[in-house]
Amino acid sequence: MLPRTGPLLALVTLATLAPASAQIPTELVERHRADLEKQSKDPDMKRAATLPQDWAYALPDGVTTRQVTFYVDGGAPLYGKLFLPRGFTTAKRLPAVVVGHGINAISIGIEKFASRFADRGMIAMAIDYRSYGFSGSEVSLLEPDTTTDARAVWDKTARVQLKRTDLNNFHEIEDYRAAISFLQGEPGVDPERIGIWGTSNAGSVVIAVAAQDARVKAVVSQVAGPGARPATGPVPIAGPMIDDAIKRARTGQGAEVDGGFSFRTKIDMISGQRNREVRAGSMIDRIPENTKIVSIIAEKDELIPAGGAAESAKAFKGTWQVITLPYMTHFQVYSGVAFEVGSTLAADWFVKYL
Amino acid sequence: MRAGLFLLLAAGACFAQNGANTKDVTFYSEDVQCHARIFLPKDFSATGKSPAVVLAPGWGETAASIEKYAAHFATQGLVAMTIDYRGWGNSGGYIYLLDNLRYDDRLRFSQHTAKVRIRRKRLLPNDQVLDIRNAISYLQGEPGVDRARIGVWGADMAGGHAIVVAATDARVKCAVAQTPVISGADASKKTTRAPAAAEQQMIKLARTGEAPATPLAAAAMSAEETKLALAEYHPLWHADQIPQSTAVLFVVAANDPKVDNEKNAVAASKKLRGETSVHSIPGATHVLSGKSIETAAGAAADWFVKHL
Repeated sequence: MLPRTGPLLALVTLATLAPASAQIPTELVERHRADLEKQSKDPDMKRAATLPQDWAYALPDGVTTRQVTFYVDGGAPLYGKLFLPRGFTTAKRLPAVVVGHGINAISIGIEKFASRFADRGMIAMAIDYRSYGFSGSEVSLLEPDTTTDARAVWDKTARVQLKRTDLNNFHEIEDYRAAISFLQGEPGVDPERIGIWGTSNAGSVVIAVAAQDARVKAVVSQVAGPGARPATGPVPIAGPMIDDAIKRARTGQGAEVDGGFSFRTKIDMISGQRNREVRAGSMIDRIPENTKIVSIIAEKDELIPAGGAAESAKAFKGTWQVITLPYMTHFQVYSGVAFEVGSTLAADWFVKYL
Repeated sequence: MRAGLFLLLAAGACFAQNGANTKDVTFYSEDVQCHARIFLPKDFSATGKSPAVVLAPGWGETAASIEKYAAHFATQGLVAMTIDYRGWGNSGGYIYLLDNLRYDDRLRFSQHTAKVRIRRKRLLPNDQVLDIRNAISYLQGEPGVDRARIGVWGADMAGGHAIVVAATDARVKCAVAQTPVISGADASKKTTRAPAAAEQQMIKLARTGEAPATPLAAAAMSAEETKLALAEYHPLWHADQIPQSTAVLFVVAANDPKVDNEKNAVAASKKLRGETSVHSIPGATHVLSGKSIETAAGAAADWFVKHL
């Protein structure tokens, strides 16, 4: 009778001793492969942008929300929407995640991801970057600034100009970090269990944040491919960009170009140059090796260079998993089965590592 | 429209200073009106192509503190531009809205009469770096300046800025860092947690960091912000990214009580790929004076004339 227990015991022991896999299971993707293919072929699911119907979601039972204001750069107000899990009480300390949108988008479009994370027991905060959505504007004076060093602060009434949609990845990095700081101080948040989620342009920004802020324990980078190229010199600047920089320095405003996909507003032409200077792919060696990163990418992404995420993952010495959503294009991951699968895997990642 | 408002200011009359004609101008740095004084060589022609240099003041200093250098540069045929950083000297400050104005992303620009709070005398290295870069943009657009021959000069903390700008701005062809503060060659680039007290400050700033109302509160907040910013500012990390074609001179004070030249200028110089030199001024201390200024200005001007 006994001989059978020997090997069984050994097997159980082996399984216990073996290091838990650093990766999360991805059967979910395989299980939904046919559904994803169907979504990719559905004419109603063709996307060159996210559409209002992609932003809609039903708030999970028991999840509550609260709008908050937090501050960056000496007093600029930013908007966040907190998603609190069911049964939330400040007596416990829960992991928390910052959820950030892509180029010329707003937090409303990604609230559905935050709601899913709250549904899985964490606190999530969807944010608008500076000059987007419900966050404050870039402010300039339309009259001479007559303040002097005699005082460190001056109050006055003045003619001002507000500028919106000023795409700036350097600012987005600071905005994420301010959001992390806000969450760390939020009652009910465990300040040692902080994650960040970013999509599209912000999928690269979150990598730069992880490289500059060791408070970040887990990262989800969706539909982005920061690559891995060490910076060996200044980012080249083309003639027209130099002309534009001159115009900005001499008049206060440079040329504008069409920006974004989901919202067709203008952005400053210089944004492209400035964002190239962030170079998230050059900072991978700065990310603490115990940071846990997952890239969730779209197989048919028309905007992100193929292989960019894999290149980053290969360069990182710690855990960086790459999960591909088959058949999907860049803007299909916000809706349908792709959203269900992508948001579930992102939540799985945070649950495992926060 | 906004440019028009300041045309009168910007046109400022020329007057002679140390044999150089000067003019005061306004340049924009990230929405802030910044002050600069341009020193023109005697034989300067708006239709010519002169090399040009941006001079950045030290920590907590203003353009006025470095005019002697600019005036000397102009006598050597260089167009020289001294700048005030955002929030300092004759530059405007950081602007925050007190009124709750409505806005809409579909309307990019809107104009209002509103209550604003303007913060000054903040010391934020990354903003100072951007101010230098925006000054370069202004200078490149100056008639008579050769936009392909731009140099940058900085003293003290701005010596570190000069290294950062030379490493991150492809338009810079030559740099001089005087008594630079750029230690940290051995600091690991791996990001680590900030001290607990610093993280508490970050939380405080994010949760309650509205623009402060009183000078006292503003000074306290600025001090916190500066401490956090400096902890993450590592100009030496950029040194090895300066292109081989960019020549960098370090001018140091032989008896500098504040800066260990070996760990700062010399360490930075060793990381460079291109032409570099460390010029030590005998007997000088950190803040140069008298004859030492002439020596330092002369060495810097020679370097720019040779390499621009």
